Amino acid sequence: MKLRTILLPITVATVMAISAGFAWSQEFKPSKQIEAVVHTGPGGGSDLLARAIAELLQKEKLIPQRMQVVNKPGGGPAVAMSYLAEKKGETHTIGFFTGVWVTNPLTTAEATVTVKDLTPIVRLVLEPAVIAVKADSPYKNMKDFIDAAKKNPKQLAQSGGSITSRDNLMRLLIQKATGTQWNFISFPSGGERLSNLLGGHVQLMVIEPQEAGEQIRAGNLRVIAALTEKRLAALPNVPTIKEQGIDVPLIPQARGVLAPPAAPREVVQYWEGVFERFEKTASWKQYLEQNQFEDGYLKGPPLSKFLDDLTVQMREVLKEAGAKVVR
Amino acid sequence: MTSDKGNLISGACLVAFGIYIISVAVKLPYIADVGPGSGFFPLWLGIGLVLFAAYLMFASFMSSAAEARSESQSWKAGGRALAGWSAMMVAIALLGRIGFGLSFVILTIFLIVALDRRPALLAVGVGVGLAVAFHLIFVVALDVSLPKGFWGF
Amino acid sequence: MEAFDNLLLGFSVALTPINLFWCLVGVILGTVVGVLPGLGPAATIAMLLPLTLKMDHTTAIIALAGIFYGARYGGSTTSILLNIPGESSSVVTCLDGYQMARQGRAGAALGISAIASFVAGTVGVLGLMLIAPPLARFALRFAPPEYFALMVLGLAMVVFLAGDSMVKALLAMLVGLWLATIGTDLFTAESRFTFGQVKLLGGVDFIAATVGIFAIGEVLVNLESQGGAEIFKLSRGLRNLLPTLQDLKDCRFAFLNGSVIGFFIGALPGAGATVASFLSYGLEKAVSRHPEKFGTGVIEGVAAPEGANNADAGGALVPLLTLGIPGGNTTAILLGGLILWGYKPGPLLIQEHPQLFWGLVASMYIGNVLLLVLNLPLVPLFAQILRLPYYVLYPLIFGISIVGVYSVNNSLFDVWMMGLFGLLGYLMRKLDFPAAALILGMVLGDGLERALRQSLMMSQGDITILATRPISGTLLLIAVTILCLPAIRKVRSWRVEAVEREG
Repeated sequence: MKLRTILLPITVATVMAISAGFAWSQEFKPSKQIEAVVHTGPGGGSDLLARAIAELLQKEKLIPQRMQVVNKPGGGPAVAMSYLAEKKGETHTIGFFTGVWVTNPLTTAEATVTVKDLTPIVRLVLEPAVIAVKADSPYKNMKDFIDAAKKNPKQLAQSGGSITSRDNLMRLLIQKATGTQWNFISFPSGGERLSNLLGGHVQLMVIEPQEAGEQIRAGNLRVIAALTEKRLAALPNVPTIKEQGIDVPLIPQARGVLAPPAAPREVVQYWEGVFERFEKTASWKQYLEQNQFEDGYLKGPPLSKFLDDLTVQMREVLKEAGAKVVR
Repeated sequence: MTSDKGNLISGACLVAFGIYIISVAVKLPYIADVGPGSGFFPLWLGIGLVLFAAYLMFASFMSSAAEARSESQSWKAGGRALAGWSAMMVAIALLGRIGFGLSFVILTIFLIVALDRRPALLAVGVGVGLAVAFHLIFVVALDVSLPKGFWGF
Repeated sequence: MEAFDNLLLGFSVALTPINLFWCLVGVILGTVVGVLPGLGPAATIAMLLPLTLKMDHTTAIIALAGIFYGARYGGSTTSILLNIPGESSSVVTCLDGYQMARQGRAGAALGISAIASFVAGTVGVLGLMLIAPPLARFALRFAPPEYFALMVLGLAMVVFLAGDSMVKALLAMLVGLWLATIGTDLFTAESRFTFGQVKLLGGVDFIAATVGIFAIGEVLVNLESQGGAEIFKLSRGLRNLLPTLQDLKDCRFAFLNGSVIGFFIGALPGAGATVASFLSYGLEKAVSRHPEKFGTGVIEGVAAPEGANNADAGGALVPLLTLGIPGGNTTAILLGGLILWGYKPGPLLIQEHPQLFWGLVASMYIGNVLLLVLNLPLVPLFAQILRLPYYVLYPLIFGISIVGVYSVNNSLFDVWMMGLFGLLGYLMRKLDFPAAALILGMVLGDGLERALRQSLMMSQGDITILATRPISGTLLLIAVTILCLPAIRKVRSWRVEAVEREG
């Protein structure tokens, strides 16, 4: 048989198969309103970020439909995560995650969904944190505070969120590295954490530079350490915690986007594409700068690895913190 | 004034409830690092409930006037209220399947026809009228989403 | 005086046609949002934020703030007419307001609520204008022990909600406190009483509980009588459509009480309008010459809490505008809005953007006037709702309740909870347990436990910290005195009886 008579049908068949393959993995495009799930109520950190991103995406015409923020607060991220998991197969729902989406299921038995169950799309932001004290306090740097803490064990106090929050975990890591102890008082809202520091009822807090910025400008707060690898651009005179001789692993506060479990490849590719273009826009860069966020763009396998590594790190730290780890 | 039997039963229920709370609370840590743990508050709440509820039961025993009110009348009336409540719970169960509009109409029909023995036409009219009003005000004007059935409302 | 100059600047900003227009839009929208249970000002403002990006910023904050304090006006309407708390801070208004409606005095109740809100709102703006910075600094002195004492004082109000049986009120309050413990514990991340339900990790939804107990419970009680007994006396004549001069005189103290308490509590981050409304109700009853009538439809019982929850809106803006600290959900969104528009809320905001702050303050005066003008004429109109035959009214109440509760979180689970609480509310009514005491417990439980544990963390386990700090010690003393009142009264009445027997 002539080669041609075999090759031709094979070529045709292959071409057809490839086009059929393309037809199967047809490009996805949203055809109705997009739901963006957040785990806080209106006004919470995730909520505001999601609304801002939705606004910017629409402004830059990166999505053809409206993005609507859906608030699913409750049990930290548990309600939002289980809602997102229920949306398996839904192509028009995404969720905005933060670090608690990773840590919370580790300590909450009722949580039915972990970050591993959901489909990672992109990491957008790394939120740095700093350690701040009241402006008129005697602590000018970490050494002052650590020395004072050593002299008065368990007398000084820090305000923060729940005991599984980054605030407390950093505290535990620093305590361990320096051999000191000070108290931790939980306040549910950032406002109360700040007001207690300003009122002098606690001595220290971990705070995002954006929140601290205005207070610093007004002369109410002093930042004594940056919990980052490199010094922050907005606070060039503040040494990092490593520079001050305290070598602790830095717990990142990441924010990004997840999709429901087992999201189809086209959907994932679509969203990855959108956010890839989004990350390059000037308005996003401006937003990052205004809020003193770090650009934490990451997608694909490195993102999955990041989430896995974070889970392992968190599990370790939580166990050390004495929290009941159930997963 | 609630009859003493009512006080007795409610007291007993609250005592039982208090005991249940205590039983859960003792499994939670009483003292945390510094200060009370998560079991502290519920434990004392449970104790308080048991004490006060027991007092209620005691007081209803001691009460001199034996008010043997005619209970049958109020129980029949109670039956109507419970029927209405059950209807509402059924409507809530249906919300997710057949949407708000229909569930509401069904509930209204039950309330007006079954409980009140009024004409069915009136019930349907009121039900549909109100359902449409709700739809217009909430879904259309205010952009609030209500449970939908297959048919979009 | 500097404040006056600033105020003049503010009025010049606020009285421009476009700002006036958006102020009107804001307060109307706020009133509508407040009337409907469930849909709260926080969610509404969040939904409208994208629209504001295209506006001038001062205009935008005027509109959004209008929604905020406008909602407080609206919240009382359904509370009075239908016993459905439109906002969590309107729960107390249900107590006497609804009773007044049943006696045919719905108009008077709605009217006094509007007037009290106007007075309190104005006092709030005055406060914001004159004492915001020093008040904010004073509020910073409130640490957990002070919050604990405040919560205890709030719980002491149960004495004023007791009705006939103090024991039953205490029991109801304890159940309410228990309900508040449901969910994830903030400090230890343990979950309590969640029965394995993910949806309970955040605790019981407050609106679901209050709407269930008050609205559904009430309807169920009314369903008992076939043919719908004449539940509402129809109001005859104009006398009952608006408050009378005598009513206004009776409420003189209530206006003051509500305004002051509401404003101060509002300035404390974390303490809400609901606490303020309970406290002012309790205070009003304490100083009243006819305390036993409270709960049956006393007009001061409406004026005081309504004033409190309006002044609270003004108070809540104090920490927001002077320190950049949000006091609650709604102010957190306003803060988010400010940040979104590129402002940096903090201590320097007033100095650097005076036209924003003073424009807002001036427009709040205007907004309060607008709301009064809008609401008073609507009162007779709203009161007509009660003329609806009960077979329309009851389905209406069911419908509003279901929609309202569902719309809070788009959650059917919440609606189920509402149903269960409805049954609870019905049983409580039948067995004479005061529902208000349960709500009091629910509202304060979280704050109380948290403040206690925070205080003990601060003091390293030393409980005397609560008594040794001046502010918390004073508040606790007042609370203890109030709690002893029933005992004192009993002792006195025994003595009187003993004397009578001897004589």
